[in-house]
Amino acid sequence: MNDYLSGGRLWRLCLKELRESLRDRRTVMTLILMPILVYPLLSMAMQRLLLGTVSKGQQPSYVLGVGDPRYAPLVSELLSNAQSLIDSGVISPIPPIQFESKSSEGSGENPPNDEKQPGLDSFELFSITDQTLQSALQSGQIDVAFTKIEKREVPIGKAKAMSFDVEIEFRNGDRRGEDAAILVRRMCQLINDQQAYGLRMSVAPEFSPAVELKTRGVGRKDDATASLVGVIPLVLILMTITGAVYPAIDLTAGERERGTMEAMIATPAPRFALLLSKYAAVVTVAFLTALANLFATWVTFSFGGLGKAIFGPAGFSLWTLLQILPILTIFAAFFSSILLALCSFAKSFKEAQAYLIPVMLICLAPGLVTLMPNIEFTNLFAVVPLLNVLLLSRDIMTGQPPLVPSFIAVITTIAYGAAALVIASHLFGTSHSVMGSQSTWSDLVRRPSKPKDHPDLGLFFIYLAFLFPVLFVISSMASWFEGATDTLMGLNALALASLFIVVPFAWLSFNRVRLIPTIRLGDGSSNALAWSARSTRLAGMILASLLVGSTLWMFALEGVLLFKSWSLSEHIDQLESLKQKWLEIPFGWILLTQALAPAIAEEFFFRGFALSAFLGRTNQVRSILYSAFLFGLFHVITGNVLSPEKFIPTFLLGLVLGTIAVWTNSIWPGVFLHFTHNAIVLWFSRLEPSQLEPWFGSSEHVPLLWLGGGALVITAGMALFYSLSRFQKSRTAE
Amino acid sequence: MIRADHLFKQFMVRGTPLVAVNGISFEVNSGEVYGLLGPNGAGKTTTLRMVMGLVEPDSGLVTVGGRTNSADSMEYRKLLGLISTNDGVYPWLSVREMLLYFADLYAVDLDVAQQRMVELSELLDISSFLDQRCSTLSTGQKQRVTLARGLMHDPPVMLLDEPTRGLDVVGSQTIFRFIEILKNRGKAVLLSTHRLDEAERVCDRFGLLHHGSMQYEGTLQDLQRATGQQHLTDMFIQLIGKDHHHGSPVASTETIEGSA
Repeated sequence: MNDYLSGGRLWRLCLKELRESLRDRRTVMTLILMPILVYPLLSMAMQRLLLGTVSKGQQPSYVLGVGDPRYAPLVSELLSNAQSLIDSGVISPIPPIQFESKSSEGSGENPPNDEKQPGLDSFELFSITDQTLQSALQSGQIDVAFTKIEKREVPIGKAKAMSFDVEIEFRNGDRRGEDAAILVRRMCQLINDQQAYGLRMSVAPEFSPAVELKTRGVGRKDDATASLVGVIPLVLILMTITGAVYPAIDLTAGERERGTMEAMIATPAPRFALLLSKYAAVVTVAFLTALANLFATWVTFSFGGLGKAIFGPAGFSLWTLLQILPILTIFAAFFSSILLALCSFAKSFKEAQAYLIPVMLICLAPGLVTLMPNIEFTNLFAVVPLLNVLLLSRDIMTGQPPLVPSFIAVITTIAYGAAALVIASHLFGTSHSVMGSQSTWSDLVRRPSKPKDHPDLGLFFIYLAFLFPVLFVISSMASWFEGATDTLMGLNALALASLFIVVPFAWLSFNRVRLIPTIRLGDGSSNALAWSARSTRLAGMILASLLVGSTLWMFALEGVLLFKSWSLSEHIDQLESLKQKWLEIPFGWILLTQALAPAIAEEFFFRGFALSAFLGRTNQVRSILYSAFLFGLFHVITGNVLSPEKFIPTFLLGLVLGTIAVWTNSIWPGVFLHFTHNAIVLWFSRLEPSQLEPWFGSSEHVPLLWLGGGALVITAGMALFYSLSRFQKSRTAE
Repeated sequence: MIRADHLFKQFMVRGTPLVAVNGISFEVNSGEVYGLLGPNGAGKTTTLRMVMGLVEPDSGLVTVGGRTNSADSMEYRKLLGLISTNDGVYPWLSVREMLLYFADLYAVDLDVAQQRMVELSELLDISSFLDQRCSTLSTGQKQRVTLARGLMHDPPVMLLDEPTRGLDVVGSQTIFRFIEILKNRGKAVLLSTHRLDEAERVCDRFGLLHHGSMQYEGTLQDLQRATGQQHLTDMFIQLIGKDHHHGSPVASTETIEGSA
């Protein structure tokens, strides 16, 4: 394989596939012509829709609501003050709101004089109860809610002026609400201008009351405009899919149909390299399609005048474009692998199309979900393929996407893509797709006939793609759980054991992977070793595990203390509040669920399954690094809160545990070490800072002397592990 | 050069096992053309694919130049060239691009590949359209490009799967000329065909397959002696007729005296 991945050969293979795709006019048409046609049409449709919502009469009547019935006369008084000023001609009337949709037609910049100006009759005033005010605002019954209005006297020099304290709320992103709020603000501004004018002209100030207005936008965008924003990612994603579909079919099923597949598969080039070159071509075409579509969107909405109406004051900026592009790229990579997996199985163009049409239809379903109002981008949605990318793109377009779901969405999309690529590599160039034998999809889950010593890396990635979303769903369920903390701990441990031990165990057994060598379930000692040597080795391993496991806590604690002093995370405080609850739970139960269960489950999964899967494909150093990386990543994303601070300590712990697993060829020293470490950390977490003082003094950090001593003990422990592995080798050799 | 020992392969067809190849053994030496003959469904293509390493035999072993596909797939495959009746071309690539692509897949150095392309272009008369897109070529031109593609890595073993199927007289002649060239260059050629007349012309030795089993093996003279028939066609009619009389496939393999 390396022969083919080096010297630019893979690059040349990719270029060939890309050349083939880009020379095909059907690909080019989807790439260039479709965006040119689709977005202007989409923009016209949106324009029509927006005009429909805002021009139900040139002068919309806005509905104002007050919660307290006593406010109603005050609001009326305030508005009539403004109206009388307009009527008396003291100051110019309020300019009408400029609608983007109108201005784009060229009629809104300078409204004709005969157009009716907004004034008091632009408003309808409703008095509702305080309790229903917010819901009336959210449901759109009212455009603006007056949450407070007070009239008071304000001394100005020797005189006294009447002043209104007003607070209003409107729905964020709601066109009518925002316009109504602007109108109210402008009327208040008129009144304030008049007071300033009155003061200047020495007119008695009490006749020109001033207004202090506070406006607040509430809630999320949930009206027609917000739904329109949801349409754009959907169109972008559907276009990206459309762009990738043709090359994906052509480079796989098409290759077979035109009779080049067999000759290609018969060459010594590894199938995975061939698939990778095809994948690169499909992703590139999908990416180019996404780029062309994104550019067309930007041009349409920036220069067509609709941008501000749909995306708010900033419009569809280049910055938004740059943020969406990587998301679309990740999506393109994900979907291309899905397409390749499906098309690799097909024997002909027709068959591939038959597989893809239902997939495209399925894609529309989450797309329609994003168009529904009030759909929040939650952690749960973040693991749903496609829906996660749609919601993330929508939230990027409308403002700030939520951090945790965004991160989850990106990671899960990459994980799903990788899993699909693994499946594609199993299907691509198989006897079925080359020769058209009678195999079916069930071949994918057919039990292998021969047992294996290493799990296939593909098996591991497929399991990872299953594990990742399930973990999030379980975390989300845990946050809804309302029972006692100790029950939750038990359930967590149970979930961990199921996902990290029971299901992988079943998965590996089904795939005829020999469990003892794979998961290193034995004590790792050679059969050739004499009983006494075996016992010495076992005692040595226990001692080494104790040495390392009982010292690592210092570094973990220092990590947390450093983190605390940098105050990078709010959830340290949350942990503090949890501490009280924990103190009420028996320590034995905590040890069982929080120290022992994770130690066994994580060692089984990361040092057993993952490490073996990597070892089957690459060398020991890389395998340890990769499994430690996954171990670190797992701790970052566990729970509902991202914990980036956990990455470095757990990654380092992963390196230590991985090395020990390789040296001892057993997971048990790691389990023992991991448990000791967890237990000590948990014990420390129950102590009050005052109880730690005799140990560490008043310092905010673990004393350097402790850390230095700890490092020495760890080194001694690791040296012992290493010498035990040498000891076994030398004894076996004898 | 090629040595196949007791190859056995069965496929599952809608849940029922179907024996495609049943214990076939044969050898092909360098500079020799071996005809794997049989009616449709005899197991020729499956045998060829097992030799090619595209299908793993359920039991039995193939070695090419002493190597096996399972031990060293890369080096094994470099020894083999494949030309099949279904072979196509890449419509959007030029002939040159396609030939160099295949040379690259066989890890042939670019300089060597360029040189070999020139040589094969002259031999197969494709120089005039080397830079033309494959989609614009005639059937005969595509066929010659395919032959050149199979030789770009200069393999010592050539596998030809029904190479003349669907070709006219001129096309078939090109193939025969090509097989002659291969033979003269000392390549071991394994030819699968159901065109018995053409096999008789070009093959040195034959293996007659029926229902996945080797029925007769040897030179034409060996076969004539064993069957009492003069021509391969008559031998086949006899073989199929036997099948009709008995109503079951022939399971045993008759080895003819004097065969290799």
